[in-house]
Amino acid sequence: MKSLRVLIIVLTLSAAAFAGEPEFQGIVHSIEATYGVRHVPLPLVGVALFFARPAGAHGLRLAIFEGFKVPTDSDDFRHVIESSLGPGWYPFVRVRSKGDTNGETTLIYANPNGGNMRMMIVNVESSEAQVIEMNLRDRDIKKWLKEPGEEADNQSGLHHQSD
Amino acid sequence: MRKANWKLLCSVFLMLASSLLRAQEFKLPVDVEKLTSRAKETVEVNMDGPMLQWASKFLSAEDPEEQKAAKVVANLKAIYVRSFEFDKEGAYSPAEVEALRAQFRSPLWSRVVGVRSEHNGENVDVFFKLENEKMAGIVIISAEPKELTFVNIVGPLEVDQLADLGGEFGIPKLNTKPSGKPLAKVEKGDHK
Repeated sequence: MKSLRVLIIVLTLSAAAFAGEPEFQGIVHSIEATYGVRHVPLPLVGVALFFARPAGAHGLRLAIFEGFKVPTDSDDFRHVIESSLGPGWYPFVRVRSKGDTNGETTLIYANPNGGNMRMMIVNVESSEAQVIEMNLRDRDIKKWLKEPGEEADNQSGLHHQSD
Repeated sequence: MRKANWKLLCSVFLMLASSLLRAQEFKLPVDVEKLTSRAKETVEVNMDGPMLQWASKFLSAEDPEEQKAAKVVANLKAIYVRSFEFDKEGAYSPAEVEALRAQFRSPLWSRVVGVRSEHNGENVDVFFKLENEKMAGIVIISAEPKELTFVNIVGPLEVDQLADLGGEFGIPKLNTKPSGKPLAKVEKGDHK
């Protein structure tokens, strides 16, 4: 009975990891439709994110795309993302790093609301992309407001924690 | 037919949402955008419109430093930061930075501070925009051997308030008070 309860929790958390708000799903579906890729099913990612989430963040959603061949600094890709976001979302931070191969770009959009801030982080690497949605509270919003570039660097590696 | 109309409506909405997002973006001078291809890392921070207003409310907590920053931010229209980090020195030429500075040598803008440090090669220029004899914006260009930072603050602001904003929103900390020791050559600005 106890193991059944654990199984239900694990399955619920796994589903919640992809469910997300309409904008998150919109971005995932737009990427899939535009670039002909599918996000990788991550059965236990909900559990991983529950334990590995950054302090102050909650409501984490993650989608990973592999075999993704899009120039990391592509403006078209940015427009695909932005057309999936509704009003209330603002371009906040963009970090572009030049790597040995194709580099990496992190796009961050913010949706401030009262004492919370929803954040959509889209990270594109040479053959992989990740979409992360999270809600931030108090202390962590202040960290973002102080050093947006540095926080963007830290959070773009979030998916590696859950691998 | 109804389905087609619905699709059309959705497409128009998406295009509008997309163009609104794009409209909020800050356009840097073309020469500066070119640096992106040479930079090891480029960081862009955009804070404008409702997001800036929200941030000002959010900052006004118990912390006196944050209260100061919140007061300044509440009147601002936008803050844009562009930071380029390079692998090696000489990735950008002095002429490129000079061309960027030249764009702010117009009747609308006044250069108030110019710091040239021979010691660490750090050069900082601060330009003020005046409208109806009131401060309407500030541009900071900080050029280091391997880093170039461009900050544009749009809205009313006084020079001493600039220090209150340093360390927030990716704006570098600026010491507007004299340090006593002359570490760098400070050029007098052409403030009118």
